[in-house]
Amino acid sequence: MINKFAILGLMIIGISCESREEITRQQYVVEGMNLYQTNCANCHQVDGSGLKDLYPPLAKTDLWQRVKMSELACIIKHGQKDSIRVNGKPYNAYMPANPKLQALDIAELMTYMREKWSPNKTIFSLDSARYALKNCP
Amino acid sequence: MQQKRIPLSKIVFVFLVVLGCQQEKKLPFLGPKEVGKQGDTLYHKIPDFKFLNQDSLWVSQKDMAGKIYVADFFFTTCPTICPTMKTQLLRIFDKFAEDDRVRILSHTIDPEYDGVRVLKDYAKKLNITSPRWNLVTGKKSDIYRLGEKSYMVTAQEDANEEGGFVHSGAFILVDQNRHVRGIYDGTKEEDVNHLIEDMTLLLKE
Repeated sequence: MINKFAILGLMIIGISCESREEITRQQYVVEGMNLYQTNCANCHQVDGSGLKDLYPPLAKTDLWQRVKMSELACIIKHGQKDSIRVNGKPYNAYMPANPKLQALDIAELMTYMREKWSPNKTIFSLDSARYALKNCP
Repeated sequence: MQQKRIPLSKIVFVFLVVLGCQQEKKLPFLGPKEVGKQGDTLYHKIPDFKFLNQDSLWVSQKDMAGKIYVADFFFTTCPTICPTMKTQLLRIFDKFAEDDRVRILSHTIDPEYDGVRVLKDYAKKLNITSPRWNLVTGKKSDIYRLGEKSYMVTAQEDANEEGGFVHSGAFILVDQNRHVRGIYDGTKEEDVNHLIEDMTLLLKE
């Protein structure tokens, strides 16, 4: 009997230690989804498909491999005035800034978008977001 | 035990009444009504207008004669509700792509920036090639007056608003005789589903 409980206890500790970062990541994904739908989906659409040739897609794009994540974080926060190339196609409608989004919001958003559309489905940590925003051009 | 049977004729009768009632459904006439000289009701009507479209051609009430159309107000640099509105208008556009009885009329509320060239570029990027969807520009006061008095929507400049304008995301359904028959929230998918149903209904009138 004691053995059983001990094993169970060890298992729980094991799972929780191993996945503390994973739990944070999943929380970021959930929060990020809400933020995405409020702030981004208008133009980029809920499924990330973009709006014709007016607003670029995020899903199934080379953005995730070609553009630095810190650069994307800066675009989300400060907007984009110049033309941007996505999948080889130029898009030149400007993107408005999102001054209300803080470092944590951006970390959550980036983590959500990575989960959905990037081959690299890792967390974009709060530290990374803070660092990126501090060094925006 | 003998069951009382309902005669077939009765069933058919009830069925026909129900069917008849459903077909009776008609869209309302919106806006202020007036009583005419003969005591008849004069419904609110969209007055004559004349604007330039994305191909630099004049568009007026004559181009809408006998057509039903959806009117909306937007501006190309709008960061908030316009993209959603355009996504929904594209749905309507695709739905009635083959139907020559249907038009879409999008008015810019920022005509100073949204000239013909800007509208042309915007249309091109949205893949609007059909002459059935007109994006129009004109004198600001004309557009605002028409929007507020005739289409019953709000549109005005507001420096505090993101993008510099405040406006409603309404889609206005106008019938073959320039009467307003429905106003919908163009930012909500379910409301636009309702609009599409109403358009089908209106085409049967």
